[in-house]
Amino acid sequence: MSTTEQDPPASAGVPAETASETTAELTAALPPVPPETEAELTRELPPVTGYVEDFDLEDEPFRPSGAGWAVRGLVWALLAWVVFALPGNFLSPFELGVSDVSHASTAVIFAIIGLSLNVLIGYAGTISLGHQAFVGLGAFASAYLVVDLGMEFWLALPLAALFGGVQAAALGAVSLRLTGLYFALVTLAYGTFAEQTLFGITALTGGDAGKEVTRPLGFESDFTFYYLCVAFLAVVLWIDWRLMRTKGGRALQALRENPRVASSYGIDVKAYTLLAFATSGVFAGIGGALLAQNTTLIVPQTFNFELALIFVLMTVVGGLRNRVGVVLGSMLFALMEEGTLVEILHIEGLLRDTIGLPAEFFGLVVGPILLLLTITLYPGGIGQQVAPISQWLRGGRFDRHAGKVTEVEVTDVRA
Amino acid sequence: MISELGIAVVNGVFRGSVYALVALGIVLIYRASGVFNFAQTEFGTTGLFAAFAAREFWGWPYLLAILFGLAVAVAMGLATERLVIHPLRNSSRVTLLVGTAGVALAAIGIQFWRNNEIPIREMPKIVDGVAFAPFGAAVTWQHLITFGVLVAVAIGLAIFFRSPSGLAIQAAQQEPTAAELVGVSVRRVSMMTWGIAAFLGGLAGVLSGPNLTFTAGFLTFAGGASLLPGFMAAVLGGMRSMPGALAGGLVVGIIQQLGSLSVFGGMSGGGAMMLFMFLLVVLLLRPQGLFVRKAVAA
Repeated sequence: MSTTEQDPPASAGVPAETASETTAELTAALPPVPPETEAELTRELPPVTGYVEDFDLEDEPFRPSGAGWAVRGLVWALLAWVVFALPGNFLSPFELGVSDVSHASTAVIFAIIGLSLNVLIGYAGTISLGHQAFVGLGAFASAYLVVDLGMEFWLALPLAALFGGVQAAALGAVSLRLTGLYFALVTLAYGTFAEQTLFGITALTGGDAGKEVTRPLGFESDFTFYYLCVAFLAVVLWIDWRLMRTKGGRALQALRENPRVASSYGIDVKAYTLLAFATSGVFAGIGGALLAQNTTLIVPQTFNFELALIFVLMTVVGGLRNRVGVVLGSMLFALMEEGTLVEILHIEGLLRDTIGLPAEFFGLVVGPILLLLTITLYPGGIGQQVAPISQWLRGGRFDRHAGKVTEVEVTDVRA
Repeated sequence: MISELGIAVVNGVFRGSVYALVALGIVLIYRASGVFNFAQTEFGTTGLFAAFAAREFWGWPYLLAILFGLAVAVAMGLATERLVIHPLRNSSRVTLLVGTAGVALAAIGIQFWRNNEIPIREMPKIVDGVAFAPFGAAVTWQHLITFGVLVAVAIGLAIFFRSPSGLAIQAAQQEPTAAELVGVSVRRVSMMTWGIAAFLGGLAGVLSGPNLTFTAGFLTFAGGASLLPGFMAAVLGGMRSMPGALAGGLVVGIIQQLGSLSVFGGMSGGGAMMLFMFLLVVLLLRPQGLFVRKAVAA
């Protein structure tokens, strides 16, 4: 296991790292220790602390100038415009059609799914090759509740999320006995089992013909539904962020690095692994329910092994344990899947003429290449690429080397 | 009932011989690189497509087309080793797994792309027709040939691993540093292992291809159709034993076939359910494999 030998990994909680960095800087910047006579010490001490405080104020928080804040504010406003106004055709020079907005919703839902998988691969360190089953269960559960039982969407979605959490925790309970590689195999078998057997139960899923789903009241239009998806993405991001700030999140980080050491510090490995699985399942359930609502017709064949591979790809390419990266990576792959990216860039003609690649296969061909580049050359993924920008946006300096990661850290839990 | 069981067992054995070929490749690579190779069946699919193109588009003779398909599969295996496995040799094993899954998806993507226009493909059988029919289960010549190739491969591998090259491979797998010290090039051995494994995958592909009559089967040869059973066969053998993988392949084939018994009332995906349950039971009760006496480190 290569990760155990590394010095504190770049990921081990941002605050801890910045703190240690600043202390290192402080000691380096301190004047050489004066000769130790008691009189001198008592005389010198107050100024030294004073100096440290000054130094702290002066150097540590970089504050952009007024103009700097203005530029950042402008970029934030632009981002907000892209997220909120552009798909709704407010204040927008473009006239987006219904299908474009539906693609945007898919991208947002994929971001939720990416975050769900990030909990498993990034935080818990177990790989899931059956995530399409997690998502599909959420989709079919909410569809069944809404269509067959006539339940309100607002009740069906939490139930679908709960259902997703329970099935994920059940699978996680199995994984407690297995090492990373074998667990990957179990998830693969589970995915195939769900795709062919569970989703094939005609009474529940409508079989091969699929199932029609109706959208909740007030969100029937693609435009309004998009905002619903964005709201759920915000909720998921918030839960994810809070989770990683709590004891549970830190425990997960510790047991990913080394379960044995973690358990010797009194961390309940089983309980926290199950927590990670349940969280991931809940996110996937939400994503699945929204996906069902978005496409309005779900068929079992959608949730195949390829989709599971694409989920893994988008999470790893996005950059494990980097929320911004995972969200961006998932959206990128969602758009590539639908062929929208090719349309946006107006390169369909170019692709077809030069290498004969139809737009709908762009993602399938380009995605794996991105993945291989990520794990061999840029282990931080998209998160690493955008780290300088996101740091700058938060009022930091523009540092080209921000967010550097040396290896895609997926460890074999208990391997 | 008896004849139904008989049909399931006979079909299962022939289905299983393809899984056994896949499993042998998986075990070889696991012993050499410590990675679960998710691209193993893609070697087969790629080889199958190459053979198909050579046979149907370019009009090559059947034997030549098959050889071409195998060569393409081996080339793909070697390229995977050089471009993905070697650069990642110091990463964690799950990272490697993600890498091979990426190779698999790339292959699937390219296959979809290249075969977008003609969705239905059919590879002719080597020898057409039914050889005999025990319990009423039609055993085609293609099935028999596949089984024969499996036996030949098993004997060939057994002999190969007693030859100097085979011993070098085994030495390098058990103790890379010591093997390097006595003059075995671990790098070359790794290439050789991937080459052999890709060859086995290619064999599985070109032999099972003619049994799949349309492209949906062609394209999903990797996805669920034989990757998962191949892995299960390898797990049954404890991931390290080649005879275990071989027996495992046959067992998995039969188990999967049992899922289609009339007991399950013609429910869809019975085979997948049987496989999932079986895998769970095996991994939870005997994680060291069914056909292995002593426990091996995972």
